[in-house]
Order: sequence, then structure tokens, then C-alpha cells
Amino acid sequence: MDQNLEKIKSEYLTKIDAVKSASELESLRIEISGRNGKINQLFSEIKNIAPENRKQFGADLNQLKTELENQLESKKLTIQKVELKIENSKIENSTFSLKKVGHLHPVTQTERQLNEVFRKLGFSVYDSPEIVTDEFNFERLNVPQDHPARDMQDSIYIKEPEYLLRTQTSAIEAYLLSQKSKDLPIRAAFPGAVFRNEKVNRSNHFVFHQYQAVVVDKGITMKDLIGTMDLMFKTLYGNDVVVRYRCKYYPEVEPGVGPDMQCFNCHGVGCPLCKYAGWIEMGGSGMIHPKVLQAAGIDSKIWSGFAFGMGLDRWTMAQKNIKDIRTLMGGNLAYKPNEL
Amino acid sequence: MKLIYSELKKFLPDLNVKPQQLRDDLTMIGHFTNYFEEINDEIVFDLDIKVNRGDCLGYYGLAKDLAVFYNIPFNNLSKNIVIASEARQSLPITVKTDNVKRIMSVKISDLKNSTSPQWLKTFLKCHGSNSINILVDLTNYIMFLYGIPSHAFDTKKSGENLIWEMNSKFKEFTSLDGSKLKLDNKILMINNPDKALSLSFWGGEACAIDLNTTETIIELAVYDRTTVRQNSRQLQAITEAGVRLEKDIDPELIPIAFNHLSNLILENCHGQVSSQLFDFYPQKVQLPQIEFDLNQPTKFAGINIPTDFVLDCLTRLECKIDKKTNFDYLIIPPTTRKDITQMEDLVEEVVRFWGYNKIPTNQPLAKKNVTDITPPEIYLIDQLKDKLVELGYDEILTWPLVTQAINENTVIKTQNSINSEAIYLRQSLIPSLQQQLDQYSRYKLTNCQFFEIGKVFSKIGDKFVEKNALCIYNSNSDNLCRDARSCVSTNNFIANNNFVEIILDNLSKPEKYIPQTTVNTAYELTSQIITLDANITLDKQEESEILIQKYSKIIGNQYLWEIVITDIYHDTKTDKYRYTFRVSYFNTDDKTAKELHLKSFGLK
Repeated sequence: MDQNLEKIKSEYLTKIDAVKSASELESLRIEISGRNGKINQLFSEIKNIAPENRKQFGADLNQLKTELENQLESKKLTIQKVELKIENSKIENSTFSLKKVGHLHPVTQTERQLNEVFRKLGFSVYDSPEIVTDEFNFERLNVPQDHPARDMQDSIYIKEPEYLLRTQTSAIEAYLLSQKSKDLPIRAAFPGAVFRNEKVNRSNHFVFHQYQAVVVDKGITMKDLIGTMDLMFKTLYGNDVVVRYRCKYYPEVEPGVGPDMQCFNCHGVGCPLCKYAGWIEMGGSGMIHPKVLQAAGIDSKIWSGFAFGMGLDRWTMAQKNIKDIRTLMGGNLAYKPNEL
Repeated sequence: MKLIYSELKKFLPDLNVKPQQLRDDLTMIGHFTNYFEEINDEIVFDLDIKVNRGDCLGYYGLAKDLAVFYNIPFNNLSKNIVIASEARQSLPITVKTDNVKRIMSVKISDLKNSTSPQWLKTFLKCHGSNSINILVDLTNYIMFLYGIPSHAFDTKKSGENLIWEMNSKFKEFTSLDGSKLKLDNKILMINNPDKALSLSFWGGEACAIDLNTTETIIELAVYDRTTVRQNSRQLQAITEAGVRLEKDIDPELIPIAFNHLSNLILENCHGQVSSQLFDFYPQKVQLPQIEFDLNQPTKFAGINIPTDFVLDCLTRLECKIDKKTNFDYLIIPPTTRKDITQMEDLVEEVVRFWGYNKIPTNQPLAKKNVTDITPPEIYLIDQLKDKLVELGYDEILTWPLVTQAINENTVIKTQNSINSEAIYLRQSLIPSLQQQLDQYSRYKLTNCQFFEIGKVFSKIGDKFVEKNALCIYNSNSDNLCRDARSCVSTNNFIANNNFVEIILDNLSKPEKYIPQTTVNTAYELTSQIITLDANITLDKQEESEILIQKYSKIIGNQYLWEIVITDIYHDTKTDKYRYTFRVSYFNTDDKTAKELHLKSFGLK
């Protein structure tokens, strides 16, 4: 086809495609194939074409006319269908969905449940930097260099051996005691992310969440500690939960206390989930070691206190039936868009 | 740590509790016992021993603890060895390092080595060890009984000139199992003048005992535990001996274990002691003297623990007790108990034997008005989370360690992360939220809007700086800006397409904010979301919400993710209404979703 005719064809096809209504289409039809329309105008120009080219030009012009008229007809049918539908469905807005509902992350939910328990007892919520020195992560917590307890926690170093990512929320405790040693008594709880140099897989992660609570006051006892922990477990797991408190070692406490929850799967009989122990270890706690208080400049003969900590991720996974720890952070954890 | 009930009873003949009870009692006094099982007619317990109780990495220490707990006699199994009067030879042993705390050694000649009797093979099997020959097996037996590793050298291979030293001349060591280890000068060794014979925690091939061995030098030793630990880490070699030598072992226990081993060898391999006893013990153990008030356990526990029980308990623990005044005593703990150094340690001893389970669990700390030290930023974070949830946003958490740096000059890099994909501390939350969005796209999860509040990190000069940041994503950028502005009173946004990031430092903070405690459901997506349409025709027009509720109930909660109405069509010719539903299914396969879909809408 002649280049000029090709250009005209392309322009009109675009115009036809853009048409939205029947009246608009009729105007365009007149502009193209009306008595004084573009096609007739082009036919009138045949006489100006060189004789040897007239035949080809006429054929091209007829082809153009047919293509545009077909396109006009096709568009007419489409518009009729659309307008019929619009006319018939004008009963309401055709789309509907329930209101989008937002959600807190399950770990935040657990943190808030615990914060609520402790706020009622007069606790503040606290936090401190995640990049810590060896002093605050270990030394002040009665874990000197080459203490075997360091084996329990492989650290991620920023600048070895001085700076690392905190391996435990006890580092927040050390920071808190150093900052508030002149403002006793203290009651504080602190949820926080902690880091260990672990390969990430289905069961382990290099970052996870712990929750810790600390009290420093006069006359604090193990009875206060165990009673408070029991209140916390009952809040999380319900009044029927069975928890035992046994002797356990952590360098930053003495005496140390280990809470174990009776396995919810086998009720103490023993199963693969609890490794046939019948009990699940829930964290660690104890009376704050005098060396920890002394490191913060607190007189351990006057003041005493307790501390306890527990992991949040595994509890959250069990509660939400999540099998893979990677799901919790940047994974395939999702929430239904609305309440059904 | 494994513990065979029948073997324990040799130390505690009066022990008479059922295995289940023993398991629970061991756990309650601090030796967490996972389970017990029957192996070759023996009841075997599996225990986790606390890192500060090296004395309990053997039957001896555990039996001592149980003797106190059950108040039953402890039977000492060891008897002094008899050294023949003609055995006048002194062993030519040299100790060239300060890292040796004690060595006890003797030569036994004319012995006949053989395979082990069945009882010994069974014992080792229960402890996860293979039987080699009786001489080697007895050294291992003693290690399991007392928690102190022992070693036997074949003198035909090793000679008698044993040298304890820090390595200075050997480049390589071949262990008993044939492993070749590269050595440097930080390794504590037992050598002869020509050969590397043994590490402190692992015997060597060069002097291994075999069935032809007729003469041996046996030794028990305790070393500086830090050196052993460092050697073990450096050589990446973990052995039963190493695990024990890394702990604080009592050098005073060596003679007891040594005599027991010597007698067992003489009984089972015959032979005779052919040298004088070698006992290198340069510095005796210094024992702490602890001032102790008998009322301290009551003060710590918060329940009454009678002082006569306290005194009786300390006596049974074999403490030396010196009365000062009415309740004040000076207590010297037994040498085996390296973990007892101060008053609080004695309190724990008394309370654990009195029983943690006697402390009531229903008396929590009383409420008290204490100064609120909550940082205002924590209130702000809680407030922002609640606002965003109210606006329909979901909270997510992402990795604080990321693959890529945004600014190489200020990024903080970890030195030893074993996860190669996560070596930088994140400088912005936006890439992390973008990754989350990509992850959701892979699961065909659309129309998400979510946020994270977390730390971002940077290095300014020598200082490490961490700040809390809020990042929000919404596929509709107009809604994103509207929602961000309704949450925070600043225009200081870092906007990037459909993400907004705000550093919380610059925002005004509430004096107090008590967040809402809500419980909602989150799901672990295991497969892509499947979306299917369905048309139904109704005689009359229905409320869209009622229809959604109706079909949600029919489909059920198990696989239904979301249901929306995308179109309502009124056919004026037939006067019927056609509804088009778009339903998303999760954690199921195409076939199940389609079947459920067709059945629920009556299309099957």
C-alpha cells in the first residue's frame, strides 16, 4: 500500500480504537466515509496520479475503505454491548470486598501480652542498643573470657573481640543496671532481638527474640521470682498449665531456676516433641548474681533481685502452627486480608 | 552424659527408687535428665550436665549429690594400690609447662592384655563407646566413673621418658583413630624426646595399646582447662576426654580414680606395679572460706528452711564447718565442688536439697509504684503500630543482616557471620520490605500493604549508630502518602516508589501510651495462592456482604484466603442478577481448590 495511505490508515485505526460512545463513533464514520469524508476525498485525487500508477492506487484505496469500514462496524457492535451492559447493571457499584484488616506480627502480640502482665505489676518496658561491647554482653554478667558458658553462645562480631551483636537480652539487663544503679528500685521488662552465629535453616536462625524481666529491690526472694513467672506462664498458656521450677545454671544468677512446662503434646508421658522428657524447657532465671550487681555499682548486701528470660519464637511458632523458623522474619508469614 | 542405674548403685548401695523417680529427682536438683532407656538389660539415663559441674561428668560426683539428696551412704569403690617393695624405679617423667595441675603415674609390667569381659563391653556400649581391649577399656571406664580422663602408654613404643610440654618441635600428630592434625606451639602435648605421643585430650597412634602390650605407663592428669579448651577448638577435635578436661576438675580426686584404675588393671590383666608412684602436684588446691549465716537460705528462698536442715545439708555435702557465733559459720566446701565459692552458692545447695518444689508458685511479686523508665520511643513505636494496624496494614519483621550495602562508607560489616547472604547490618528497611514484597509475589499474594519498625545501622567515624525506623509499603502511592501523614507529623519521608521510610528520632514522642493487646491469626504459606472466579445467578438482588458471609461459611476456613465480588449484572430481559465472585484459596493444591470451589458454588 502507498505510504501515504498506510499513514492515513494507521491514524484512523487509532482514532476508532479510542472511541468511547456511539455518538462519537458516528462522527468519526462521517469523517471517514461520509459524502465529503476522507475516502471520497482521496478518490477525487485519482486524476492527479500518474497513469501507470492509477490502477494500484485505486486498489489500495478500496482496500483502505474496506478495512476502515469493517473496523467501524466492529467498534459499533462493541459499544452497543458495553452500553447495554452499563444500562442493565446500573444497580450499584459492582465490586465489593470486606474491609481490609491490619495485623500485628505474632512476636509483637506475644510481647504485648507479656508487657501487659508486667505493667500491671509496675514494670517499665526497656531497650538498649543491639551492638554491644564484650563487657556488657559477657563480663558484667559474670562470664569472663574463656568461661565455658561462652560456648553456649556463638557470637557475631562487628569488631572482634570488643564489639558484637548482643547474644542475649541479659545484655539489656547489664546496660539497664549500669544506667539506673542510682535510681533503685527497678522493675523492667525487655523484649528484644538477639543474635547467634548459627546457620539459618528450618530450626535455627541467627536472629531470634527473647523476653526478659528484671527486678532490683530490697528483700526480693525466690518465692517472688517463681510466683511472678508462674503468673506469666498462666497468662500465656492458661490456668491449667503445669510448670515445674528446678535448679539450673546460668552464670548471671545464683541460685538459678529453670522453668519447665509439662509437654502439651503428651502431658508428661514423653514424646518426640519433648524429646521424651515429658517437659519442655521454657527459659532461665534466678536471683541476680552478686557479681552482676557489683559490676553495676549496686551494693549486693542491701539490694537483691531476680531476672528471668525466655525465647519468644518457638512459643509463637507452636501457637500459630508454624513449622519453619524462617517464616517469622521476611518469610512466607501472611495474614488474611479480612475477618471471615 | 549417660548413667547406668546398676553402676550408680555400686556407689549408692541403698539407692532404691524407681527409674522414673530418679529421673525427676536428678532433674530437680539440677541435672536435667532427658529420658531413660533399656540397653542390654541395663537402665540407662541421658543427662545434661551443667557447665559449672565438671565433677558430675562422672558417676562419682552424681552419686555424691544423690547421697546428700536421699540421705544415704556413699560407697567408696577405690582402694589403695599395693606397690611391691622391689619396685624402686622412679619414672623418668619431665614436666616442662605450667599448664599441668597434677599428674599421677605408675608403670605396670608383665601384664596380659586381652579382649574385654562382657560387663565392660556393655558398660562402654551404654556410653556410646567402642570396646578396644581390656587395658584401653578400663582407662575409659575410669573416665566415665570419675570424670577424669586417664591414659595408658605402651612402653615398648613410647619409652619411659615421657615429657609434658607445650609443643615446639612437632608439626603433625596422628591420633588413635588415624586422624592427622597440624600442630603449632600452643598445643599441650605428651611427647618422648623423639616422638609426639599424645595430646592432653586425645591419645596418639604412636604409642597405642594393643593385644601384644605387656608393659604400660598409666597416668591420670588435670590441666589448665582454658589451654585444653583452646587446643580442642583450634584442632577442631572434640573428645570425651576433652569435654571433661575443659571443666574445673578436682586434682584431689586423682588418687582415688588412679587407685581404682590400677587395681582394676592388676585384677584383670594381672602384672605388677614396677615403678614408684609418680605424683606431680606443684600447687595444692586453695579452698575458699565462706562466711555463712544459717538463715540465708530462708532469706533467699522466701520460705522457712530450718537451720538444723541447713547445717545437716552442709555436713552431708562434706563441707568443713566452723562455728563463729550463734548462726554465723565459716564454711569450707569440699575440693570436688569447684562451683562453690561464695555465700550464694551455698544457698543454692541448701535450697536445691530442701526442694525448689516447696517454694509456692501462687505468690507473685506484689504491685508497686516504681518510677517509669520506659523510653518515650517505645511508646511511640507502640502507638505507630496500632495506628497502622487500624489503617489495615500488616506488621512484618525482616532480617537485620542483609546481603548488600547501600553506602559502602557507612555500612557496618560483621566479621564472622557464617551466613554468607547476611554480612551487613541494614542501613534502610526499604530493600528488606521490597524483598518481602517479592516473596509475597512468588506466593501470588496481591493487594498487600505492610510495615516494619526496626533498627537501621550506620558507622560514623568510629561510632556505631543505630536508630529505629518505620517503613511502610502500599501499592497505591496516594494512599501510602495519606496513611503515612495520618501516622506521623512530618513530611520528612524517604519515599521510594511505593515505600516510605521515616527515622523515629525526629518525631515527637508521647509521654505515655498503653498499647492494645490483640490476638490475631497469622499463617505460614506453604504454596501459592490459587484464585478462581465463579458466577451465580439469583432471582433477586442480595446484599453483597451477606453473600460473602454466606459463601465464606460454605467454603470453610481451612483453605479460604479471601472472597470478593467483582461484578454484579442485572439481566433486564430475564430480570435475574448475576454475581461474579473471585475467591482465593491458600495452602492447598489446584485440584482440591477447584473441587471445593465448584462444590461451594453449586457448579458441579
